[in-house]
Amino acid sequence: MISQSKFTRQTRIASIVAVLIFGATIYSAAVQAAMAATLAQVIEGAKKEGAIRGQWGQMSFGGSAGFAEIVAGVNKKYGLTLKGQYTPGPDMERIMLTITQETAAGQPASTDVYLGNSQAMLQAMQVNVLTPTDWRAILDRRLPSEPGFDPVLSGGIGVAFAAPVVGILYNSSLVKGADIPHRLEDVLNPKWKGKIASTPYAAGLRELAMPGLLGREYIINFTKKLSKQIGGLTRCGEAERITSGEFLMHVLTCGGHDAIQLQRIGAPIAHTVVEEGTIIHSRYAGIPKNSRSPNGAALFIAYLHTPEGQALLWKHDGMDLYLYPESNMKKEVEKVRAAGGKVIVNTPQWLNSLKGYQEMQKELEKILREGGQ
Amino acid sequence: MQAVLRLPASLGRKVRTSPLLLSLAVAPMSVILMLVAVMLWISFQRGVFGTASAIYTLENYRAILTDSFLYRVLWNTAIFTLSTTFFALVIGLPIAWLVERTTIPGKTLIYAIMTLGLLIPGIYTAMGWTFIAHPRIGFLNRWLVDIFGLASGPINIATPIGMGFVQGLSLAALAFILTAQVFRAMNPTLEEAAKVHGMSLVRTLRHVTLPLALPGILAAVIYITTIGIATFDIPAILGLGNRVYLLSTFIYIKVHPQGSGLPEYGITCAVGTFMVVVAGLFTLWYGQVLRHGHRFQIVTGKGYRPALIELGGWSVVGWGFIGFYAFIAKLLPLLLIAYAAFTPFFAPPSFEMMRQLSLVHFYDMDWELVFRGLLNTAKLMLVVPLLVLLFGFCISWLVVRSRSRARYALEFGAFLPHALPEVILAIGALLLSLFVLRDFLPLYGSVWLIGLVYAVARLAFATRAINASLLQIHSELEEAAFVAGISTIQTAWRVVAPLVLPTLLSVWIWTVLLVYRELTVAVFLTVHDNITLPAVIWSYWYGGAMNKAAAITLLMTLVLTPLILAFWWVGRRSLVAMQ
Repeated sequence: MISQSKFTRQTRIASIVAVLIFGATIYSAAVQAAMAATLAQVIEGAKKEGAIRGQWGQMSFGGSAGFAEIVAGVNKKYGLTLKGQYTPGPDMERIMLTITQETAAGQPASTDVYLGNSQAMLQAMQVNVLTPTDWRAILDRRLPSEPGFDPVLSGGIGVAFAAPVVGILYNSSLVKGADIPHRLEDVLNPKWKGKIASTPYAAGLRELAMPGLLGREYIINFTKKLSKQIGGLTRCGEAERITSGEFLMHVLTCGGHDAIQLQRIGAPIAHTVVEEGTIIHSRYAGIPKNSRSPNGAALFIAYLHTPEGQALLWKHDGMDLYLYPESNMKKEVEKVRAAGGKVIVNTPQWLNSLKGYQEMQKELEKILREGGQ
Repeated sequence: MQAVLRLPASLGRKVRTSPLLLSLAVAPMSVILMLVAVMLWISFQRGVFGTASAIYTLENYRAILTDSFLYRVLWNTAIFTLSTTFFALVIGLPIAWLVERTTIPGKTLIYAIMTLGLLIPGIYTAMGWTFIAHPRIGFLNRWLVDIFGLASGPINIATPIGMGFVQGLSLAALAFILTAQVFRAMNPTLEEAAKVHGMSLVRTLRHVTLPLALPGILAAVIYITTIGIATFDIPAILGLGNRVYLLSTFIYIKVHPQGSGLPEYGITCAVGTFMVVVAGLFTLWYGQVLRHGHRFQIVTGKGYRPALIELGGWSVVGWGFIGFYAFIAKLLPLLLIAYAAFTPFFAPPSFEMMRQLSLVHFYDMDWELVFRGLLNTAKLMLVVPLLVLLFGFCISWLVVRSRSRARYALEFGAFLPHALPEVILAIGALLLSLFVLRDFLPLYGSVWLIGLVYAVARLAFATRAINASLLQIHSELEEAAFVAGISTIQTAWRVVAPLVLPTLLSVWIWTVLLVYRELTVAVFLTVHDNITLPAVIWSYWYGGAMNKAAAITLLMTLVLTPLILAFWWVGRRSLVAMQ
């Protein structure tokens, strides 16, 4: 037999649970209603816009072909007939600057949807040129996060949709077996002198120089040695200068996705992550405030987060967002983390929290640029 | 009603002009002045131009004067420029002489060879030479290493001299066209007199032909030298990745910081300010030639019958020289383009790669983008050359015929855009359209903004060529027309223009071709709808899609080749008819 007090307590608990369940149901229904309303409004807005323009590098996110397939996917998923127009553009920071100037001049943006890296998004945060958006209300599935990495930027001005891992790119016909670098110091072997390249913007090095990773002193010293070792500076995306044999390695990359893409067509190229640590180099999307098709842009970005959109990113650019369960990058990220090296997710929030990051980058760029003169 | 430019009393002549002529000469000057004013304005600013972060300061000038890196860049640029000019003239000048002053057969073909080369973007000439003379992957180096058992390739194309050689190959066509018209219009009387007096061909060339052609040659030297200072594509491909920086690539990395910080437009424009001074010095130099131009006036109303030197068996040697040039400067890069267009990824030529040839890049082509670029380029190719001819002719006539001091201003203004790196003109135009003209002239994002800068930038080329021709036309013809009561415009149209028609035709064709391949300005001013074909090719190349860029280049070369041949066929026929 149940005592009176116990009965009362159980009744109270049951009541509370019932209230909570009811509340949650109501809240969920309300949220879903709000979401549906928001998405419906966005779709309706996109119908009126009728077109969407995209501009980023030809080797980024599948270029022309990737853009066309994504727009086709958007049209199919949301029942639209958007006409897509893609123009190959410069690097991500440069496009962000163009959008900034166009906003200041009251001109429409060159691109309706902006895709860029953390550095460019940090710029965007500082100049306030992207539209705050409630991404979680527009995406059609839950967007996962993890400690230190919330894919949605503060104020919703952007949302991460992919994240490759930084390492060393090498020509797999000319660099084999024991020659494949495992540690940063391996590339300083005299046999590589004049035969390897780095980036003019110190990709990877600038992040590894931050406290908590390899630190300033270590990276400065390493970069000085590297600068005497390299034969040239090439940008991320110029992986064909590795396949051609002009350079045998690229130290460090913006991600291994170039290798994945070129391996698919039989090119002699591979990518390796060094043991000391690495960066997960997140990619973000946002809508310029002066976009001519903000609703179409929102749907474009939402589509990138669908399983179909993620599959297209993997197909066209060899990257996706490792937070999603079906991600191809997930295994690589887990492997890197399991290896015990220092790993950090490069986000605008993280960059913004660092002191002296930009000064460090400038210093490293100067060493790399002038070290060979 | 006609305006009058008064001449110095000592010369006792007057050059009549009309308000229309004067307006057409002055109109482009106002554009140039605006662009230079914007450049000066920006040179005193730091931060993001047009936003609250922009501040006025002298820091840009202090920065460039105290930057030791810039001095190294200037030294590299000087070596590169001298090499470029040397190689361009060593190749272009003899071919021009062979075509215009000798009986060498196949002249139309030679013109076609020299012209078609311009269709190949400099980026591919540079990439071609990477495969020829790169220390590691250049086949020339690999052969030398194999034959002589060397440790590494002895030739390095990624040096200022190496890059100057490649740029010289590219600009030899320009040296050819700039000097060909001089040889074409040359009076043979003095050469024949030299022959009668027993002078050898070499002595005649040295003491008669070359001095007579001196203004034209000097014009070519000045023109090519200034291109060398400002040229971008070949130094970008061969030098930038190998850390050999020239002025153009220094400016590029300041405007495209590639990672840290904001574009340093202020630094770029401060450098541009010094370039204005350089342009001034070049203009003064050229002015000296103009001042003594009357000594070279050899085409008069009394007779114009250039005679040709019989080459005989030496034609084979001449063709050997032209053929060798065509092979290393044109055919090899073109072969590389074809190879790259059909291979799935970039790798040195090999049997293994030959097995992988496919049409995949043509199949995957974004045709909407290609046709958008083609349409914009076609618009520019139609309009810009006409504007250049119109403005250039008016300016040249005033500069050459007038004795007013105002002609120096015109001459300086016309030459200025050439001496300035085009990137500076482009930045000026970009910011002008974005922040100054936006409310009453919506040029931003329009193909006509690109066209305006092209027209201004090509003025120097047009005026140099037309100046050289006008110098050789004695003013007695115009004076006779004036005495006969013919108006200035009619004199220009019916007397002067027909006499310089070959030059006008050359300028038109070359401007069409230069517009077709023009890249730097387009890269800076392309927004979306106004992308040009070279900008499409560059975007693909810059984005890492080299093979796709090669595929478009190949297609466009194939499409335009018949057009170019037709241009030259028509051009040569009209020349023959005139002669």
